[in-house]
Amino acid sequence: MTDARDIATEAGMLAPEGTHHPGLPPAGIRRAPEGVDGLTTEHLIINMGPQHPSTHGVLRMIVEMDGEEIVSAEASIGYLHRGIEKLAEHRQYNALGTLMDRGDYVSGIHGELASALAVEKLMEIAIPAKADYLRVLLSEINRIASHLVWFGTFGLDTGAMGQFLYAMRDRENLVDILEGITGARMMFNYVRPGGVLADLPAGMAAKILEFCSGFDKYIEEHHDLLGGNEIFQHRVKGIGAIDRDTALAFGLSGANLRGSGVAFDVRRERPYAAYGEMEFDVPVGSTGDSWDRYMVRMEEMRQSNRMIRQCLEGMPEGDFTAKVPRVLRPPEGEVYAAVESSRGETGIHLVSQGGDTPYRFHYKAPSLYALQALEEILPGHLLADVVMIIGSTDIMLGEIDR
Amino acid sequence: MLPDETVIKHILADAGQSDADIQETALGLVCTLAPSVVASALAAFKESELDFATLVDLMGTDTGEEIELSYHLRSFTRDEEIHIKCRVAYDSEISSVWNTYPSALMPERETAELFGLTLSGHPNPKRLLTTDGVEPLLRKSSVIRTLQEVRDR
Amino acid sequence: MSDVLSVILPVLAAVGLMLANGVVLIYMLRKVLGHLHLRVGPMHVGWHGILQTVADVGKLLTKEDITPTNVDKALFFLAPAAVFVPSLMAYAAIPFSETWSITSLDTGLLYTFAVLSLVPLGILMAGWSSGNKWALLGGMRAAAQQIAYEVPLLLSVLPIVMLSGSLDLVEIVAAQGGYWLGFVPRWFVLHPLGFVASVIFLIAGLAELNQTPFDMSEAESELVAGFASEYSAMKFGLLFLSEFSNSFIISALGVTLFFGGWTLPWIPADVVAKIGPVIFMLKTYIGIAVFMWIRGTYPRVRIDQLMSLGWKRLIPISLGLIMVTGIAIKVVETVRGVS
Repeated sequence: MTDARDIATEAGMLAPEGTHHPGLPPAGIRRAPEGVDGLTTEHLIINMGPQHPSTHGVLRMIVEMDGEEIVSAEASIGYLHRGIEKLAEHRQYNALGTLMDRGDYVSGIHGELASALAVEKLMEIAIPAKADYLRVLLSEINRIASHLVWFGTFGLDTGAMGQFLYAMRDRENLVDILEGITGARMMFNYVRPGGVLADLPAGMAAKILEFCSGFDKYIEEHHDLLGGNEIFQHRVKGIGAIDRDTALAFGLSGANLRGSGVAFDVRRERPYAAYGEMEFDVPVGSTGDSWDRYMVRMEEMRQSNRMIRQCLEGMPEGDFTAKVPRVLRPPEGEVYAAVESSRGETGIHLVSQGGDTPYRFHYKAPSLYALQALEEILPGHLLADVVMIIGSTDIMLGEIDR
Repeated sequence: MLPDETVIKHILADAGQSDADIQETALGLVCTLAPSVVASALAAFKESELDFATLVDLMGTDTGEEIELSYHLRSFTRDEEIHIKCRVAYDSEISSVWNTYPSALMPERETAELFGLTLSGHPNPKRLLTTDGVEPLLRKSSVIRTLQEVRDR
Repeated sequence: MSDVLSVILPVLAAVGLMLANGVVLIYMLRKVLGHLHLRVGPMHVGWHGILQTVADVGKLLTKEDITPTNVDKALFFLAPAAVFVPSLMAYAAIPFSETWSITSLDTGLLYTFAVLSLVPLGILMAGWSSGNKWALLGGMRAAAQQIAYEVPLLLSVLPIVMLSGSLDLVEIVAAQGGYWLGFVPRWFVLHPLGFVASVIFLIAGLAELNQTPFDMSEAESELVAGFASEYSAMKFGLLFLSEFSNSFIISALGVTLFFGGWTLPWIPADVVAKIGPVIFMLKTYIGIAVFMWIRGTYPRVRIDQLMSLGWKRLIPISLGLIMVTGIAIKVVETVRGVS
């Protein structure tokens, strides 16, 4: 029988002898099929997705299994590729937000904000304080809404259906609030270079505060319903552990990185909008398993709720947008602007050569990096854990495929 | 935020490029290297005292004459960032840096596919986003609509 | 009544009951889950959607019956029947009241379990013959799970058999008549040993039913639709129907064994005797509602956790329970004999 290492080396899957690599090869062969009592057995190669209930969109995992145990996993993506980066080269700077909405479609504000920040950095536009506060307010409302979708579908992956609909009830309130402010439920196009589209409508602040005080109670109810369940804890504790080095090597960001014990939050380390003035904690996990990621995200929702209150209390008077020309023509240059989106560090790398449209618009999607780490951590787990780990990393296919 | 330039020069000299072009731009600190030394330079950066543990981002740009690859590194312990750039010709072969930064696995595939490059030393150098036969979309020569199509709209 | 009729009528009644049960239970499942989930469930077909299942049955009957190319045709056709028939047969021994049962068997309990243990065979056939990897995984899981949980399910009812001294379901219900301390009904669920047995019975029963939290074989978030992936139209309908009918049977068994069957405490016996079947059905439906409640709330366990729970926890506990019951019965007998 051929040694697994030989097969893998022949296929170019292992690093040459002596070179350092942080993890085992992704999509590599860990073990050759091994027979029991001389009988040859085959590994089952199963195609999970793109139409599978738990791959969160159109992800396709090609999973090689020995019984129910994963031997290797390979992600196949591109089913939602719309060429956002190419399209952006043909859009004026004002229109980039609409494209970003369709990237990470569950937390559109963050994408819009990233593109707006990049343009502002390039043009050196000063933003009124009120716009900064509104951006933070909307970002945090959108973060809770997005985390609630994650929370619901994560429970759905374990087979628990109840808390999904409870989470959707709260999200519905948030989406109503977002609709009241921006006019749209998901594709907001609210954050523009120079400021935001509109001020809070009359009575909206009271409505948001009402939600906040209700959510203090509901978040604990959600946590009790799912996280307090022992079956759920057995399903997530110790599952899909990503240690600190692997997390850094695979470029994870956001809650996935913080779950692995790295306290890096773009809002804290590279403050943008009004985050410098906000008081919030950055929750950090220790072992990096699915449970830590779960706890980090739950705590993030509580912190977001705290920040929404601070925004409403400290909302300054004044304009909600700076005076910007109708057609933006930034000077030549290259900038990178990042925001902490619901899924991690969403970055926009913008290259301008003058003119109405970007020369190159690169969307750094945090989910893409989380997806690569999946290929590394899935082997050794059971099939049922695959959906749990995909769920716990909260990947969003819209921004992976772009 | 910005790492020490002299330390970087020192690391790059060890990696085989003593005359690297280091500039401070709106992007941050940008080093432009020859394509042949990028892989060794990245490995050196990761192992160095600057501790660039993470490749945050990897992208390509079609400059009109060649493809510019840009690697964005970050050190979490020192909170510093650096951008490494190199320029390669169209249709050329780039060597994978996944041994140093596994996070480059998919962005490399994507960049190679969308700019029409070939990957060497990559464990899985398949196309990532589009199907076989699709032209390199992000090259400036590839148009999303031809002039005729625009007229016919 | 001729002999032939007296045989055929109860069988027809069983079939009718099973089909009616299916229709009612599907509607009930939707409504119960709906209200648990802050929804309302079906509302449009008939008053509060009461005809929704009828419409669905019509849909299933008129849909195209697809046979995929790669299936093992004979097994593929046989599997729904192999799943459906045992769950139909299991109705035979259930006593709806002292006199109302399709057939009266001395070993009714054993018969019901024996028949129910044939169900996984059909599920394995369905999974194997579908020529689909998801279905195969679902079928294998179902077989492993049901073999593992058959044992604690059977063992958990043995203390009851020992306490009541009979395998006849009617006798077991009769043994639960009367009161402890003058007012506590002598239901086995209120008996300290019987209570432990009833908890094991509930867990093992849920696993036997492929119900959440043990719905391994059709775990929709993992296996898409499990063993039923390739089935369509009424073949799927039969698989579905037998699932609901199994949950009726397990609930009915639970009611018979632990909750006093058709009896009601504190109410004169002659009144109860008249409405026995109604009481029995009500109790059974409450039991099913509890299953649905669990289904709407709980996450699913993983297959290895399920196996270790079955083999390492439930079986030793139920074996220990049998031993304790035996000793307790002997001790009580001796004490009574002495005094």
